[in-house]
Amino acid sequence: MSSKDQKIFVVDERKCDGCRECEKACSHKHFGVCSPRHSRIRIEAFGDGDLFVPVFCQACGDPLCIKVCPMNARIELANGAVVTDEDRCIGCRTCVYICPVGAPVENPVSGKLMTCDRCAEDEELPLCVQACSKQQALRFVDARVVARTTARECAARLKAAYKPPKVPE
Amino acid sequence: MKIVIVGNGIAGNEVAFSLRERTPEHEIKILSAEKFPEYDPCSLPYYIGGDVPREVVFRRSLDDYQNKNITLVLDSPVVSIDPHAGAVVTAKGEKHFYNKLVLAHGGRLFIPPIEGVDRQGVLSCKLLGEADKLSEHGGSTAVVIGSGAIGVEAAEALKKKGYVVYIIELLDWILPALFDEATARRLEAALRTYGIQVLTAEKVLRIDGDTAVTGVVTDKREIPCDTVVIATGVVPGTALAQTAGIEVERGIKVNSRMETSVEGIYACGDCVETIDACTGEDVMFQLKHNATEQARIVARNILGMNATYTGAYAFARAHFFDTHAVTFGKTSRSTACLLGDTEVIERENGKDYLRLILLDGKVAGGQAIGTYADSIGLFMGAMWRQDDIKTLRKNWVNIVRAGSPYPWIYRKMGWLIGLSATDVSSDAAAVCQSF
Repeated sequence: MSSKDQKIFVVDERKCDGCRECEKACSHKHFGVCSPRHSRIRIEAFGDGDLFVPVFCQACGDPLCIKVCPMNARIELANGAVVTDEDRCIGCRTCVYICPVGAPVENPVSGKLMTCDRCAEDEELPLCVQACSKQQALRFVDARVVARTTARECAARLKAAYKPPKVPE
Repeated sequence: MKIVIVGNGIAGNEVAFSLRERTPEHEIKILSAEKFPEYDPCSLPYYIGGDVPREVVFRRSLDDYQNKNITLVLDSPVVSIDPHAGAVVTAKGEKHFYNKLVLAHGGRLFIPPIEGVDRQGVLSCKLLGEADKLSEHGGSTAVVIGSGAIGVEAAEALKKKGYVVYIIELLDWILPALFDEATARRLEAALRTYGIQVLTAEKVLRIDGDTAVTGVVTDKREIPCDTVVIATGVVPGTALAQTAGIEVERGIKVNSRMETSVEGIYACGDCVETIDACTGEDVMFQLKHNATEQARIVARNILGMNATYTGAYAFARAHFFDTHAVTFGKTSRSTACLLGDTEVIERENGKDYLRLILLDGKVAGGQAIGTYADSIGLFMGAMWRQDDIKTLRKNWVNIVRAGSPYPWIYRKMGWLIGLSATDVSSDAAAVCQSF
């Protein structure tokens, strides 16, 4: 269970323009190739490019995948990420089915499942977040401030929507 | 306080370790009928099939119990409970006194009354001891009686070991409790392509052989074999609870605090009958995630934290070789006798298959094979939220509008049930070319 002083991901799909730099960064970091198949984050594109959604493991509190995995291969890391122990995984995909967004991705090399490890501890920021620095659709922020910032953003959007149109003088 | 836990399975251990996580006090004792530290029965078929080494089935080592100051008494099945004296008696005649008792002894394999089930070579796959025997057994032809999840997984494991495998199912289709006929027939066809013989609507009459098994006789044929695996389901262990006068129906009856009808005795895991989290009906899903959740509720209630269990839910997968299938909630058969309008949404794309069961427009259950299965979590969410699919259809124009306020999951669900043919392109292969 993610404690409050941990950092968490914040995804704003409205800002995602589908450039897939995050997929490139992720696959390059973990496999040394630029390929969406090897990426632990995937962009789901809807319609004629009017909506792009970054889908990846959010490491929910009390993760269901840990409870249903028949091999007990899903483990929670100290940094809050929930990952698969490849020595135990048999590739049965139970974690994909129970996941509310179907986040786990099959490792194309081993056939086992894999999810976001938040680039473990070796990067300052997860590489996908670094790759998204222009669009800011993905952010990695302190769990304590996220509620406040998202509330402010929502309020700002509402304010923009309700602001009376400027009347030229 | 002395806390005695009967059963060393998923539920029993979860109670013990959740208690210990919260408090260093209290004496915690687990009475195990078996000779091993905690292992996971779900992983046994993969150990038998040689996918993983034996040590992987264990969830804890004996040292873990010692480090957490939990007494583990092995090889001591409990035979009776005396709630007045506050004691349980084991088969060896030992008495263990308790202030709080947790019944987490699960179920036992249902052995059908077939002639010859005591022959040598008749094995099962529910307990590690039995799995060890099956793993060491050197046979060439195996008959699996029963086609539940354990049966199908055992058949896969034996096939991987090089056996010729037959599955015999008494009912009309395989995995009858989990899947509807349309889904099950597809899985049956898939099993056949892997070389496993599936015989449905067939009754085993007897198992032949003097001491060792030589064959199985059904009402339609005779199958010569040297191994028989019994996988005819698990019955909850209610007999022990009855010795204490605990109210029992199909399983041990518990309230929302997981207390039985006798004060100071809790129950959790495969042996209890509880409510469905979605519909509130009395149900028995003998599944691991429910056992874990129930056990955590028991642990908190023992410490007086007044936790309420919201209910169990059905979620199971069937997986063999390259075929992946999943089911959740109700099947068409279990909604057939309910009031309300039922609708079945079916989608098919080659080997992939999606089946959703709607009750009054709301998702009540679903089954999927292949790539549709990867998105089944969206529909489970819809079931929990009681989303109305009629509303989804009605508002579809607004949902797909650019800048729509609806969450993207509705858009994907609509696409999956066929409201729009070309809305989603998440196929990685198509994207590869853009790199």
